[in-house]
Amino acid sequence: MKKRPVKLSAPIIFGLVLCLVMTVFAQEDIVEVADSIFSGKKIRPPVPFHHEAHNEKAKIYECNVCHHVWEGGKKLEYETSEEMECSECHYDTTAAGYPFDVIKAYHDNCKGCHLQKKAGPILCSECHVKQ
Amino acid sequence: MHEIYKFVSGPLVWLAFIIFVGGSLYRLISMAILAKKKDGLVYEYFSLKYAFRSIYHWLIPFCSRNSQQHPWLTLVTFAFHVSLIFTPLFLLAHIILIKESWDISWWFLPEGMADFLTIVVIAGCVFLGIRRIVRPEVRYLTNTSDFIILALVGLPFITGFWSFHQWPGSTFMGILHIFSGEVLLVMIPFTRLSHMIFFPFTRGYIGSEFGAVRNVKDW
Ligand code: HEC
Ligand code: HEC
Ligand code: HEC
Ligand code: HEC
Repeated sequence: MKKRPVKLSAPIIFGLVLCLVMTVFAQEDIVEVADSIFSGKKIRPPVPFHHEAHNEKAKIYECNVCHHVWEGGKKLEYETSEEMECSECHYDTTAAGYPFDVIKAYHDNCKGCHLQKKAGPILCSECHVKQ
Repeated sequence: MHEIYKFVSGPLVWLAFIIFVGGSLYRLISMAILAKKKDGLVYEYFSLKYAFRSIYHWLIPFCSRNSQQHPWLTLVTFAFHVSLIFTPLFLLAHIILIKESWDISWWFLPEGMADFLTIVVIAGCVFLGIRRIVRPEVRYLTNTSDFIILALVGLPFITGFWSFHQWPGSTFMGILHIFSGEVLLVMIPFTRLSHMIFFPFTRGYIGSEFGAVRNVKDW
């Protein structure tokens, strides 16, 4: 008699948790930049980046401002590469053994636009915010 | 904010380096000309061998008698100078910014290590400042400018440390960090900090005189 409620509620709780996990994954809301090349060995705190909110607030309408494709030294106007990570193309080409090129790609892209628009973070501490 | 950042991280950097390099060359050349006038023989007896022998003995801690007589001061000044030169040259954040500007990069210190070396520099400034107050024989040779110079050296490290740890006001501290570094560079040729550029020559001069002329050690 005493065990019954537990037996009944276990599948319910399991189901609820499953729903929760699925909605979290299904949303796929990007809230910080997490390039896999740095995963597990980040030196600085992660950079908060609310993908949709950022691009709306910054009035960026073309995906390929960031997710671009280049050919023959020119950026293609209509092509996009949002299914790829930046590090898939901007991998380390230096002998230093540290992916400076990927960092440069992110920094040039993010900071470059912020400086140009005179809006958005530009100092290390403004992007790599300590939690 | 963006305008100030662009200014201190762009034109001011160039200006600071041009004054630093140009000023150093100017000081060295005018010193060489003065030496020729006052003691032309220097050029006759200047000996690379004795110059380097002397520089070596004064550069390595506990190699000179003077440094053996003051072990604590030797330890602090050695740690202070090594950290002072090493940290900015091999700091990850500096190399990242240089990578962004010129697409070149090199080996960098782990950030925990850089943090520790920064504390060594700040503590060194405090130690040297207090020493100027409490040691009568040093106090006698001290004036306000010596404390200002110590503050100038300490400021880029304090502000860098501050913004790295993201304490309140770290954006302002970040800008002040860049600016104070530029001020320091500009001041090197024109203050007592010029021992940085003159050291090899003054030491080499004394080393040559003691080694080649008097045939004795100068350490
Ligand atoms: C301001 C630059 C920027 C713009 C504009 C931008 N994105 Fe992104 N996007 C990013 C960054 C940064 C990431 C995260 C990369 C990472 O963490 O590896 C990302 C991730 C993504 C991902 C996830 C990729 C993955 O591997 O999980 C998708 C999908 C995506 N963006 C689609 C778009 C679309 C569609 C647009 C245009 C409507 C767009 N983005 C505009 C910067 C941008
Ligand atoms: C499909 C491969 C590819 C992907 C994915 C890619 N890039 Fe690029 N990117 C290139 C190529 C090719 C160039 C031009 C050659 C160069 O400068 O390396 C370039 C140039 C750049 C430049 C310098 C020119 C400019 O437009 O300002 C930046 C900055 C940059 N990429 C950032 C990014 C960022 C940030 C991402 C991820 C959101 C990204 N790239 C994703 C291939 C790619
Ligand atoms: C094409 C221009 C552009 C690019 C590229 C860009 N940003 Fe921004 N970003 C802006 C603008 C404009 C703002 C200011 C929005 C406002 O406050 O009105 C901004 C604001 C921000 C903010 C402040 C948060 C907020 O909502 O106010 C963060 C954080 C940020 N950007 C991160 C990034 C990161 C990380 C990247 C690179 C992956 C990036 N941005 C790339 C234009 C850009
Ligand atoms: C405009 C925002 C922005 C600014 C300003 C910025 N970064 Fe980044 N940084 C990024 C983004 C985005 C990435 C990619 C992060 C990722 O995928 O985890 C990155 C990556 C890095 C990485 C590699 C990832 C890690 O933590 O090991 C380092 C190191 C780094 N930045 C250091 C710095 C330093 C030092 C400064 C100041 C000189 C700085 N950043 C300024 C946005 C910024």
